[in-house]
Amino acid sequence: MRNFRIGLLLGFRQIQRANIWTTSLIIFVMALTFINLIAVSGILVGLIAGSERALQEKSLGDIIITTLDNEDNIINTESLVRQLDQFPEISSYTVRYQAVGQIEANYKTRRDFSQDPNIVSGRLIGIDPEAEDAVTGLSKSVVEGEYLNSDEDGYLLLGALNIDRYTAGFADITGSLKEVYPGDAVRVTVNGNSKEFIVKGIVNTKVGEVSTGIFIPERELRRLGGQINRDAQEIALRLSPTADDQLIKANLVALELDAQAKIRTFEEAIPKFIVDIKNTFNILGVFIGAIGIIVASITIFIIIFINAISRQRQIGILKGIGIERRVIEIAYVLQSAFYALVGSLIGVAITYGFLVGFFERNPIDFPFSDGILVAEPMGTLYRFLILFAITLVAGFLPAWLIVKRNTLNSILGRKS
Amino acid sequence: MTDIIQASGITRTFGKGDLMIQILKGIDITVADGEFVAIMGKSGAGKSTLMYQLSVLDEPTSGTIIIDDVDVVTLNEHEQTAFRLNTLGYVFQDYALVPDLSAQENVMLPLLMRGQSWPEAEKTACLALDAVGLAGKYKNLPGQLSGGEQQRVSIARAVAGKPKIIFADEPTANLDSVSGHQVVELITSLNRDSGQTVVMVTHEREYALGCNRIFHMEDGLVVDVEKLKS
Repeated sequence: MRNFRIGLLLGFRQIQRANIWTTSLIIFVMALTFINLIAVSGILVGLIAGSERALQEKSLGDIIITTLDNEDNIINTESLVRQLDQFPEISSYTVRYQAVGQIEANYKTRRDFSQDPNIVSGRLIGIDPEAEDAVTGLSKSVVEGEYLNSDEDGYLLLGALNIDRYTAGFADITGSLKEVYPGDAVRVTVNGNSKEFIVKGIVNTKVGEVSTGIFIPERELRRLGGQINRDAQEIALRLSPTADDQLIKANLVALELDAQAKIRTFEEAIPKFIVDIKNTFNILGVFIGAIGIIVASITIFIIIFINAISRQRQIGILKGIGIERRVIEIAYVLQSAFYALVGSLIGVAITYGFLVGFFERNPIDFPFSDGILVAEPMGTLYRFLILFAITLVAGFLPAWLIVKRNTLNSILGRKS
Repeated sequence: MTDIIQASGITRTFGKGDLMIQILKGIDITVADGEFVAIMGKSGAGKSTLMYQLSVLDEPTSGTIIIDDVDVVTLNEHEQTAFRLNTLGYVFQDYALVPDLSAQENVMLPLLMRGQSWPEAEKTACLALDAVGLAGKYKNLPGQLSGGEQQRVSIARAVAGKPKIIFADEPTANLDSVSGHQVVELITSLNRDSGQTVVMVTHEREYALGCNRIFHMEDGLVVDVEKLKS
């Protein structure tokens, strides 16, 4: 304790009397290192987190109920939905019917039958427009035309990735409709039954499930597919902000609804490839951060080494008058701690006070997501502790190297 | 009076093989408790090297040194540091103050290391600075003091803990004549008033006239012991 107190005095006074610009520069380097540590991995992970968030907001909801693995439909969907109505924590839900069908456009104006028809196979999603909008805000994703009305028939919404002008070439494999605009008539065929629809709007998001879909009112899809019952393929639930998704899921399972359908929280339903990309980006971020830490620790090492070597004689004299080695080492370690602490605090302030908000307001426009900056407090604390510990070692090593030299040689400036 | 320093057969050799140089060639020296002695000689005579051996800053190649009944040659590094802290005081040629600490904190440093509390060390440091004529300059940094004043802070630091022996390595070397005399007078008065043993290395005879004895060195040997007063 005595050694620490005297080391604190020496270290504090060295910082206090040091050149303000030098100190500021060191702290600036430490702050940048810390931001590098947080921001690089945070942005990489944020690209995927943005994708996950979009998936949750625009498709999966907070809890997603789907068919059991060996079933085509959610068993007795109507009774399950009645159970959902009993949960006040479920603020809204949307029941989706799905079928694969064909959409043909411009068939009325087709003159040359030797050419391929303007046709595409697609995933038809039957929805209650109001319920779907309440859960996923689908109406906000309409980029051309208008959203569906619940009380009108004969209209559909086309996902943008079914149309050639939105696919920019990469949908050549699956095909896309050419020259289709809101107001155009298209022919939808499901199970051999065809019906003409008017394209009411085009929806476009960075969520593939939405942008590749074709949305029509659920009663029309059931009618077209010849489905008599109301057994659906998917139900997305939106919970109230305070609700715990795991708890709600557990309650649904307790009602044995898992015998009728697969019930998963949003996290559980995230496609594996997204989780894999996220983990890869995390590793990449850690790797880049590690390089940052190494650079910072070398910087601190050099700073403390130069500081200590330029005070070699003073260190020798301190030892000469009876100051223990440990005290002098503590003084230098405390200096390093100061640089790391202040630098990191400034880094934290910049990250949480500016960067997180900035990327929230101005997300990075990535093809499959709006990238944000993910900086979770525990992760930040973890990185701070790593940086802090490594900085302490980087401060201790040069001090130890100088302080362990022969006392008289240090005083006289002789080589050991 | 008993001998507080007893050194016998002290040799100090630097280098190896053909490059080996023997700076001290077998010195026997004793200093009585409360005595003020000076070590004089030309450059290269070995006077500073001898002082480093006696002040436990260096270890002789051979010989024994007993200080205050402790065989200091056998001490390990940690014990030597503690011994220097508790038994010896140093005044270096270039003051050797910590530039980031105030005059008062410089004096407090070894006191805190000895285990004094902060207020206790502050009080002792102020008294020591008052004694060397630096009242009112407690908070000054070394850079804000003249050379003479800095050397007086150095003396205050050396004596504040009341060590048994004070070693002064050419304390006047960097000072003008007036300051030099003031510093030597201060060291002499400390010896006279407090009875602390003083071993001083100096080039100039006029500064050594207040001593009890002068050891004259030449080529690594004490060639003459001049007794000035008993």
